[in-house]
Amino acid sequence: MDWLEDELKNALSRKEPGEGFDERVLAAARRRNVVAMPRRWMAAAAAVIVLAGAGEAYRWHRGQEAKEQVMLAMRITGHKLNLVQARIAGERQ
Amino acid sequence: MTIVRVVAAGCGLAALLWAQQFKFNLEHLAAKASDAVDVSLNKDMLQFAGKFLSDKDSDEAKAKAMISGLEGIYIKSFEFAKDGAWTQADLDQVRNQLKPPEWGRIVGVKSAEDNENVEVWVRHESGKVTGIAVLATEPRGFTVANIVGNVNLDSLANLGGQFGLPKMKATPAPAKK
Repeated sequence: MDWLEDELKNALSRKEPGEGFDERVLAAARRRNVVAMPRRWMAAAAAVIVLAGAGEAYRWHRGQEAKEQVMLAMRITGHKLNLVQARIAGERQ
Repeated sequence: MTIVRVVAAGCGLAALLWAQQFKFNLEHLAAKASDAVDVSLNKDMLQFAGKFLSDKDSDEAKAKAMISGLEGIYIKSFEFAKDGAWTQADLDQVRNQLKPPEWGRIVGVKSAEDNENVEVWVRHESGKVTGIAVLATEPRGFTVANIVGNVNLDSLANLGGQFGLPKMKATPAPAKK
């Protein structure tokens, strides 16, 4: 069994990495960060823009509704008061 | 949770009634109506609407100026397909809330021609006009309006002939027999 032990020791023995291994690993890690961070930020920025746009659109929609209600109220009240005015003017004639 | 909802609903109702100067209680007419208008704008909503009213458009500019001193506008207006949908009791339960000394009827007109009646009531507090009520009825129509706040009666009187409505011509009153 000595030959098997020798083979295993040889296979599992510590080996020094090649020259520049540290730099290559660190460079690869930096590249990954450079690529991943903007994607994340872009997604977040897009979400913020969409939410802000939706909020503004909802606010505009509510504003238009409120405006229409005001104009409708003025039309109804104006019409009724106009009847009164016309009638009073008729009484005076 | 239920208690919280009840309290919240109570607060909401109280806030509504505080802003509105009398109760309409006309929900039962909505089911019978062929056309219904329900306007409910408190001070916040009026201010919000004011931001969307253009100064360049004549009608909108007038509306903007008019709502600047108002606390709220509340209107219920119903049109019916046939006569008799509303009763005198519906009108009376609104009218009975407009009691002196706060409320006083300044004008009431009856049109024999189209059987339309309009009453204008004004609310005074400490010598100031703090609101108006308009009750308008016709055989197939029922309208109640409460405009709350420092109402400029001159401006309101000038509403006729504006907002896309033709100004009505004065019709001589029928000769008294």
